[in-house]
Amino acid sequence: MYNNKRLALSIFWVVLGVTLVGLSFAEVLDSSLYSGMGGALAAVGILQIIKNLKYRNNPVYREKVDTEVSDERNRFLRMKSWSWAGYIVVLVEGVGVIVAMVLGQHMIQMILSYSVCLIVFVYWLSYLILRKKY
Amino acid sequence: MKNRIEKIRSERGIRQDELAKLMGVSRQTISSLENGRYNPSIMLAHKIAKYFGMTIEEVFFFEEE
Repeated sequence: MYNNKRLALSIFWVVLGVTLVGLSFAEVLDSSLYSGMGGALAAVGILQIIKNLKYRNNPVYREKVDTEVSDERNRFLRMKSWSWAGYIVVLVEGVGVIVAMVLGQHMIQMILSYSVCLIVFVYWLSYLILRKKY
Repeated sequence: MKNRIEKIRSERGIRQDELAKLMGVSRQTISSLENGRYNPSIMLAHKIAKYFGMTIEEVFFFEEE
């Protein structure tokens, strides 16, 4: 689960986050967005490193994580959640398209319409790939 | 699909967490199986049946709704 590749990625997030915060404070990047983003990245990276080290050094925690990740019900639930998320996003965006059209917000309407089309296209593509795989 | 996991497990004095550990799944999975909220994969069904020394049909049975 928490291998060297993940540890390297976590360190990369921390370095990137600290760099963004540093550049933001040095006013090379003139937006609070970058310092916020950098702080969040560094925090996530540090948290992942802590979890990674705990996973390596604590056999009980390692077993718990491994069971949670490989547990077939959890995998089923993760898959089902993605499925629900997809359906909900399409429905909400569909409603958003109609609302934007009624309100005369043509730019928002267009963006939401493209987004729905993209999701449907990705779904169709995934279906074609999975049909060949299984 | 219904099953007799809870009955067989109780008869043999095995706790949910013990069975879960032996099957490599979480305790919640065993609980959901026993309550009939989750249907196992054929692999897990086979593993459970094999552990109890039974066939899949003896542990799991299909019941028309």
